[in-house]
Amino acid sequence: MKKLLIILAMLLVPANLLHGEQNYLEVTAPGNRLLQLAIASPVSLGGAPNASYAQEIVDVLRFDMTLAGPFSVTAAPLSEAKSGIRPGEFDFAPWKLAGTDLLVKTGYSQNGTTLTLECRLYDPARQQEVTAKRYTGSAKELRRMVHAFSDEIMRATTGEKGPFTGKIAFVSTRTGNKEIYLMDYDGYNVQAVTRNGSINLNPDFSPSGQEIIFTSYKKGNPDLYRRELFTGAEARTSASRGINITGAWAPDGNRIALAMSKDGNSQIYVISKEGKQLARLTHSSAIDVSPAWSPNGAQIAFVSDRYGRPQVFIMNADGSGVRRLTTSGAYNVSPRWSPKGDRIAYCRQMGNGFQIFIINPNGSGDTQITQEGSNEHPRWSPDGRYLTFSSRRGKREAVYVMRADGTGQTMVSRGKGNDSHPVWSPYWQ
Amino acid sequence: MTRRLPRRERGLETMVVYSLLVHLAVYFLCTRFAFFPGFMKQEAPVYYVDVVNLPVASPQAGSPAGSPAPAAPAPAPAPRKEMTLPARPPEKGKAKAVVAKPVPRNTPQENTREFEERMSQLEKAAGARHEAAALDALKKRVAGSGSTPAGMPGATGKEAGSDYGSYIQSRLKDAFKTTIASQSRNPEVFVRLTIDRRGKVIASRIERSSGDRVFEDAVMRAIAKAEKSFPPPPSGAEFEQGFVFKPQGVGKN
Repeated sequence: MKKLLIILAMLLVPANLLHGEQNYLEVTAPGNRLLQLAIASPVSLGGAPNASYAQEIVDVLRFDMTLAGPFSVTAAPLSEAKSGIRPGEFDFAPWKLAGTDLLVKTGYSQNGTTLTLECRLYDPARQQEVTAKRYTGSAKELRRMVHAFSDEIMRATTGEKGPFTGKIAFVSTRTGNKEIYLMDYDGYNVQAVTRNGSINLNPDFSPSGQEIIFTSYKKGNPDLYRRELFTGAEARTSASRGINITGAWAPDGNRIALAMSKDGNSQIYVISKEGKQLARLTHSSAIDVSPAWSPNGAQIAFVSDRYGRPQVFIMNADGSGVRRLTTSGAYNVSPRWSPKGDRIAYCRQMGNGFQIFIINPNGSGDTQITQEGSNEHPRWSPDGRYLTFSSRRGKREAVYVMRADGTGQTMVSRGKGNDSHPVWSPYWQ
Repeated sequence: MTRRLPRRERGLETMVVYSLLVHLAVYFLCTRFAFFPGFMKQEAPVYYVDVVNLPVASPQAGSPAGSPAPAAPAPAPAPRKEMTLPARPPEKGKAKAVVAKPVPRNTPQENTREFEERMSQLEKAAGARHEAAALDALKKRVAGSGSTPAGMPGATGKEAGSDYGSYIQSRLKDAFKTTIASQSRNPEVFVRLTIDRRGKVIASRIERSSGDRVFEDAVMRAIAKAEKSFPPPPSGAEFEQGFVFKPQGVGKN
């Protein structure tokens, strides 16, 4: 009976499944080209044209889309293409003729202090609109609106939202002290987070993006502080004797892993975000620092010199199952787990400086992705496609961004002094 | 007594000025009148020759590109001469002395000239034969390109031409070359196309996704680009066929 059922089932299976791919004709092409993305000149949708708005829209889109990776970006001259931006208001033919895969059309209108930006993404080959968004806000929000549409372009073309509306928190000496600042990911709109005139280090965002933790010496001891970004409210979360450094927010948003030396040498602990100690995770006679949570919160990567030199280790979130991750290089520090959990970025001392490497959590695929200058503190963008890091390529240390394969390295911080310890904010929730 | 100041030498400055002017003039002439074509590169247009025959309803057996023109006939080989042995000299005392007729002997210079003339005639004749044969083959190929029976491997029909599916495949390949883009390493997407009796794509259904949005959009873009060159199906009925799109060289691992 069972055999009969199997035979019947086989008969019911569509023939094309049984024949596999035999019925399909193969269409192949060599290579892998970049998508030709054209940015049409922004047009005024009401009122007099504003050249500075138009220029800013094009500049932001071009910067975002160039870093994005899958695109080769061209921007039409601003004096051209005064046609409309909505379907039917312009002709696809010239864009098709130019081999454009994706066309961005933008228009703006201003009513008093309120600016409206309308952005549309088209596929000229298929003559269809891919996505369209309208943003309204104050004129000074223009860059943010354009970044938001860049995120939308990434979502529409790759299936995953871009990180371009994200902020980067970093440490800068531009005022003479090590203070923490926030800026757009492309270096614009810098805002000071701390102004305590002390040493402030190692910022890290909460998973909601609304809070930040950092270590500050403002009361003499390196204590861990938590600060709400919108209200400015600040609390000292960990002030135990000795160091309270390299805090890392757990993916659940309720716990923080950090290195403390209250029991002698520096070890990894977990505390609640209010500061209550929950567990001591490492029990070694060595120095253990820089915890980094896996995105599911099940494991923690950290740095330990238990075998003589600093190396990256992984343990379960309860402190069990410690195993060594990095086996090459004599000095490996500053690990950070990618948001997808498939890779860990860290930096290795090479010669007189550091270089950034990426390794799989099982220890395979250890790959160097930076070569120029001295590069430290790699931190992932929330989509895992980009990294921010600090680099010294000359006299000044600055914040850079790059794609996760090491291409497209671009300096984004432009202030005086040295900028370091960058961290890319998660998607705002 | 007045001391005469040494006269300032102006020769070097003048020469430098002249040299600068001459260099600027040469540079202007070179760039203005394109003396160096390397500076003014213009990309030559790419012409594409379609070798796939138009689709027919019932293709015959053969190749989509048409039967190859018959190879140029090799020039007929010169008839081989039997090798003759030199006459043996008569043995002394045995045979009667045969008095050979006196053969007029040429001088060595005359022999060389005669040989060269003959060689040159032979070379000319061989060259002319080759040219004629090549011309003949080309003429046949050109004449046969429109009418040489073309078909499909394994086909059993009687009409010259390719089958519709192969024609659509060739058009898709051409378009895919201009749109291919991907984010993953070895993407593969299975698409089933339905083409109506006017040659319009009325349905394109992804049967097996690659999970790579960029790649699948590139495939859809290729279909949209290729659609313009789809002729109506020769059968006069709706046509449906599955196609698998992938980067060249990607196979089953």
